[in-house]
Amino acid sequence: MKPLSELQQIFCDALRSPSPPPQSLLDEIEDDGLRIERFNVYRNNFIVLNGDALADMYPVIKRLVGEEAFRMLATAYVREYPPMDRALLLYGERFAEFLAAMPELSGLPYLSDIARLEYAWTDAYHAEDASRLDETQLSRIPAESLENLQLRPHPSLHCISSDYPVYRIWAVNQDDSTDEVISLDEGPSQVIVIRPDREVEIREVSIGELRFLDNLSSGETIGKAYSLAAEADPIFDLNHFFSRHLFDGTFCSIN
Amino acid sequence: MQDTITTLGSVAAPVPKRAGAGLKPKHYQSIIEQQPDIGWFEVHPENYMGKGGPPLHYLERIRADYPLSLHSVGTSLGSHLPLDLGHLKRLKQLVDRFEPGLVSEHLSWSHGYEWYTHDLIPLFYTEETLRLIVEHIDQVQEYLGREILIENPSSYLLFRQNEMPEQFFYVEAAKRSGARLLLDINNVFVSCNNHGWSIADYLSAVPHELVAEIHLAGHSIQELGDQTLRIDDHGSPVCSEVWQLYQDYINTNGAAPTLIEWDTNIPEFPELYQEVRFAEAYLQTTSERYDEAVV
Repeated sequence: MKPLSELQQIFCDALRSPSPPPQSLLDEIEDDGLRIERFNVYRNNFIVLNGDALADMYPVIKRLVGEEAFRMLATAYVREYPPMDRALLLYGERFAEFLAAMPELSGLPYLSDIARLEYAWTDAYHAEDASRLDETQLSRIPAESLENLQLRPHPSLHCISSDYPVYRIWAVNQDDSTDEVISLDEGPSQVIVIRPDREVEIREVSIGELRFLDNLSSGETIGKAYSLAAEADPIFDLNHFFSRHLFDGTFCSIN
Repeated sequence: MQDTITTLGSVAAPVPKRAGAGLKPKHYQSIIEQQPDIGWFEVHPENYMGKGGPPLHYLERIRADYPLSLHSVGTSLGSHLPLDLGHLKRLKQLVDRFEPGLVSEHLSWSHGYEWYTHDLIPLFYTEETLRLIVEHIDQVQEYLGREILIENPSSYLLFRQNEMPEQFFYVEAAKRSGARLLLDINNVFVSCNNHGWSIADYLSAVPHELVAEIHLAGHSIQELGDQTLRIDDHGSPVCSEVWQLYQDYINTNGAAPTLIEWDTNIPEFPELYQEVRFAEAYLQTTSERYDEAVV
């Protein structure tokens, strides 16, 4: 008879494995002729429960590959990357890299970027709350010192750039009502994911906007972030961007 | 959406001896708009361990109007590994913020290695595992600064090392740690059927004065050759046999806060509400009878 520590470890190994449970585990289980089937209830629960969490996080991937293929991918993912946190809220963090590494999916090269977008959606949903920047905060600051200040985007912000039209792919796959076909010739796209208030927003942005926000969130000053953005995107218009987004919840503080 | 600032009472609202419902995100809006006549709500604290966002906001809104119970699934009391202080800290933050009337956890484990099963696996029942789980319950109660309830598990297999019946282990764990009991009547039904135990023996071993909460849920049936295995999936209405057991239990022992759990194939709110009303009706009949007896 095994000590509890060893039993719990071999039980976990067997939950994760696609092979039948080993004799060393079966020897620990009361045998009524059905002990393998009884153990398999747990193995099935482990795969289904965690696979369901993945399906909740990745509805567009599920729609793109189909229910059956998604189940197979989820099962393989759960076995390779079992949950490392006691809360399931953000389970599936490595699904994008897992999909990118699957040779069978090389014909769907955009899947991994869609997965990054869907992960960002859930991460933004559960991110820290922050109040939006308002005009009184800004009015205390002399205009000439602005470029040396840090403008902090909302903590839920994710910046994603892709070689594929991921925003369009994501948007048309929000429900089953469309058969719209998207050509990959539409080319690269940039997307931000942000939750200024209760609703997660996904916005398609220009390269300049993406660089500007990405640099601000890594702590660059407004001046530096702008020059990096303008370098990547010569038509990036900061005034136009601020007129639309300075006080709409994209930003939460300035210092 | 409008921002509202809600102020919770300075003391935790006790969970009343009424029927409550497991709170599900798809029902947040209906509950806030309709303010249904439900005694209390219960949530898994692990679903509210994000840094912010809508779930915490909605829980705060709903907590302003209803008593709350936190029913943890992530502590892994029966694990050979030490409790995770990070998880306990997150749990305590929720306890401090939402001031639940009850806090509970399962008599099982989900942490056997460096990763988590997220499914609740039974222990084997020996003096050694009893000491271990009592120590873990003590630690949780000490850390949270309050009593917790422990729930009897549903199970599909038994370990050959078992030295004592589950009901003895369950009650003894509570007595030694000062915890009280969350009696899941569906789990009693499921486990007794799966293992050929007597339901009457199980329930008669559970001192009703230690039972601070009851759970009811639906389960599914899996045929294995000529045997039937009952699977505790919380995905359907409570079955008639479990309703009968519940009625008999409260008729004999009096009312206790009773939760309807529905965690998979979650229906629209009215269907869940109907189940809650069934339990409420049984509870009211019982309470009236007990009140008369007192008079």
